[in-house]
Amino acid sequence: MKRISAALRRLVVPLLAVLTALILGGVVIALTDFDNLHNIGTDPIGTLVGAVKGVFAAYGAMLSGAFGDPGRVLTALQTGNSTDIARAIRPLTETLVSTTPLLFCGLAVSISFRAGMFNIGGDGQLLIGALAATVLTIALNGVLPSWLILIAAIGIATLAGAAWGFVPGFLKARTGAHEVITTIMLNYIGSLVVFFVLTTQPWLRNPGNSTPVSKLLTTITDVPKLISLPTIRLDYGFVVALLMAVAVSWLLFRTTKGFELRASGFSPTAARYAGISAGGSMMLAMALSGGLCGMAGGFLVIGTVGQMSPDLSGGLGFNAIALALLAGLRPSGVILSALLFGALTQGGKLMGIDTGIPVDLLLFIMALVIMFVAAPGLIRSIWRVRVTDPAPEIASVSTDSAGTL
Amino acid sequence: MTAAAGAVGLQGGLAARRALRNSRLRALGFGAFAVLAAYLASRTFGVGAAFSFWVDKQGGQTATLTTTVGAMWVVAAVATALVTVLQLRRADLRWRPWLLVAIAPWIAALLGTLLAGKPAVVTNVFAGSLELAAPISMAAMAGILSERSGMLNIALEGKMLIGACVASIVGSIVSLATGNAVLATVIAILAAMIVAALLGLLLAWLGIRYKVDQVIAGTVINIGAVGITNFIFLRILSRATEFNSPPPVQAVRIPLLADIPVLGPIFFVATPYVYVAYLMVAVLTYMIYRTRWGLRLRAAGEKPAAAGTVGINVLRIRYRALFMAGLICGLAGSYLSLATSSSFQLQMTAGKGFIGLAAMIFGGWHPVGAFFAALVFGFADATQSLLSILGVDVAPQILQSIPYVVTIIVVAGVVGRVRGPASAGQPYEQG
Repeated sequence: MKRISAALRRLVVPLLAVLTALILGGVVIALTDFDNLHNIGTDPIGTLVGAVKGVFAAYGAMLSGAFGDPGRVLTALQTGNSTDIARAIRPLTETLVSTTPLLFCGLAVSISFRAGMFNIGGDGQLLIGALAATVLTIALNGVLPSWLILIAAIGIATLAGAAWGFVPGFLKARTGAHEVITTIMLNYIGSLVVFFVLTTQPWLRNPGNSTPVSKLLTTITDVPKLISLPTIRLDYGFVVALLMAVAVSWLLFRTTKGFELRASGFSPTAARYAGISAGGSMMLAMALSGGLCGMAGGFLVIGTVGQMSPDLSGGLGFNAIALALLAGLRPSGVILSALLFGALTQGGKLMGIDTGIPVDLLLFIMALVIMFVAAPGLIRSIWRVRVTDPAPEIASVSTDSAGTL
Repeated sequence: MTAAAGAVGLQGGLAARRALRNSRLRALGFGAFAVLAAYLASRTFGVGAAFSFWVDKQGGQTATLTTTVGAMWVVAAVATALVTVLQLRRADLRWRPWLLVAIAPWIAALLGTLLAGKPAVVTNVFAGSLELAAPISMAAMAGILSERSGMLNIALEGKMLIGACVASIVGSIVSLATGNAVLATVIAILAAMIVAALLGLLLAWLGIRYKVDQVIAGTVINIGAVGITNFIFLRILSRATEFNSPPPVQAVRIPLLADIPVLGPIFFVATPYVYVAYLMVAVLTYMIYRTRWGLRLRAAGEKPAAAGTVGINVLRIRYRALFMAGLICGLAGSYLSLATSSSFQLQMTAGKGFIGLAAMIFGGWHPVGAFFAALVFGFADATQSLLSILGVDVAPQILQSIPYVVTIIVVAGVVGRVRGPASAGQPYEQG
């Protein structure tokens, strides 16, 4: 009973953080709705009502985009018509499709943050992983059976992402270069590398496109689908992501290495006195983190998206920071908040189509979520509630004496 | 075996032996580069190189310097050999400054090789370097102000992005309403500065009042800035382009000085931002090192507890420093949308804020040093545009990645370890 109430109390800050951020996002929607706002002089009350209606319309579209219509699912299941079922459950499965890369990247941010490394380079690591998978898949086309290509491609994606993530870890451990700058720079370099490879290697390119996108990889190999219905994209990548959550949890809390990672993150000095190599932990954590992002890239490019393009990641790395902090850096929490963010992302797409409100609003909302989770005091003073700090056992990422920033 | 090496050998300590070995390895590396340059020289004697300067005005008469690429490689080889010899003679050589002596002719020779005889107007590159360095230099100044006061400022990038967006919108609206381009520009810049300064206060407030980790607080602003400016661009500016066409800021000719041959077109025909950037370096250097305010600022960043003990209000200093840093970031951001493209573009800062941070580190947290570091980045940018204009056969992505790679190298301290303010990033509890 006590544990349950403690768990519930831990949920207060994240839930209120998301709620507050969504309310502020609504304010932004209302303030940029000029068709409605230009009547404010003549009809202030009507404008206010219109603004509230606009916000509800937007968030309503988001909700139905994320979850679909439960009644329709039931009727479809009763008729048993596969196209009807597919159409009815598609919003839900698409939410899980959006959740998958978020889950990988959220775990990646958590594992590095636990070791005191603030990995904001998820986008670059994901892109490089996806690029490696693309090159390997197209190169091995016809050489190996497709299931073997799939395994090799996911493996190389993970390794490439890990290598891309290892670099900032190595630089931090050896020279003190702050990972926030190096990972951001590696994001820019990573997307330039993708552009470079796709523009200079015609054998990778899709012949019909003038923009740099690769051939369709799903014709060579494909991640098996979870539900075999037409138009349903949900595949085993989601299951692998869930397994990774279990693996990360086990690594962090049940192994010596995990203890060393957490100890180095909590206090590098204390860890050093205990004989733990803080530098080694940094490098390991960043390589694992990059590997998870690379794996996300592999599953995206082979599975649900199906082809490589420079905008494959679309800010996933940044969203992952928000969701990892929201989850208090606990793998179990990451699953929940990845589901939430997956729903927001998927719903945001429909909101964009239905109401013309750009999905980029979500990025702003994510930033607010990070702010409120990082400053629980703000939530306390806005909502007048007693709250506990959601992630008390992480050291600061900016007060390492070795850092150069 | 030289005298210095012999002396080291006599002492024979482990550290000394290691230093000697490292020194020999370095010399070996430098020597290899000298040989490489000599080899390249032997291959390129036939290739001409023509660099021209504008003597009187932009696009006017030119004075042309004609040589061969081979000769440039010879200079590079000689300079590199010089550094090699110095390193061999002295194990404790301060090699980093000497390295610059070798790097400069290397860059010139590489450029000559890439151009392969195509005539290039160098005035453009130098004037362009100054122009492109202006926003980076300003970002570095903002970083110096914040970090000297003890606050990490990762958010330069985000504040510049918001500043660029605000300047474009406000400039367009005022210009539409009044038709006065100068007034519109001034108000646009002021608006950008104020909004960015408020974000600076938000950063300070999160860091000081709520003790949010300063790196996380900065990331909040960076991500939020991308989100909100993308949103505004896609929802409003891309459809109503009249709100995204501020009057452009043009280059200003300083009378008399601009008539100096060769130097005039480089230094005295530029947008006002460049002159402001010069001025800012001078003013900040004076303020930080010669005024009571500057002493207190540095005390707050080095040892806030000691500063607090003698009655200095550390937190107020930090709030003010971040406010001023915000003003500067807003100004730098307005440069991007008003002077470079005369409109706001998606994520148009493209890492300039972070590059500014690297310039700050490279310059050792000193305004003058940071300015010259910013010039290096400006030069890289200007060279890249020269090469792409002349249609040189190098993938643009490789050239575009240079500033980012250099930033990583600088931050990693390969160019020389420097020490920042001791207490930057640590929250301070004021009693």
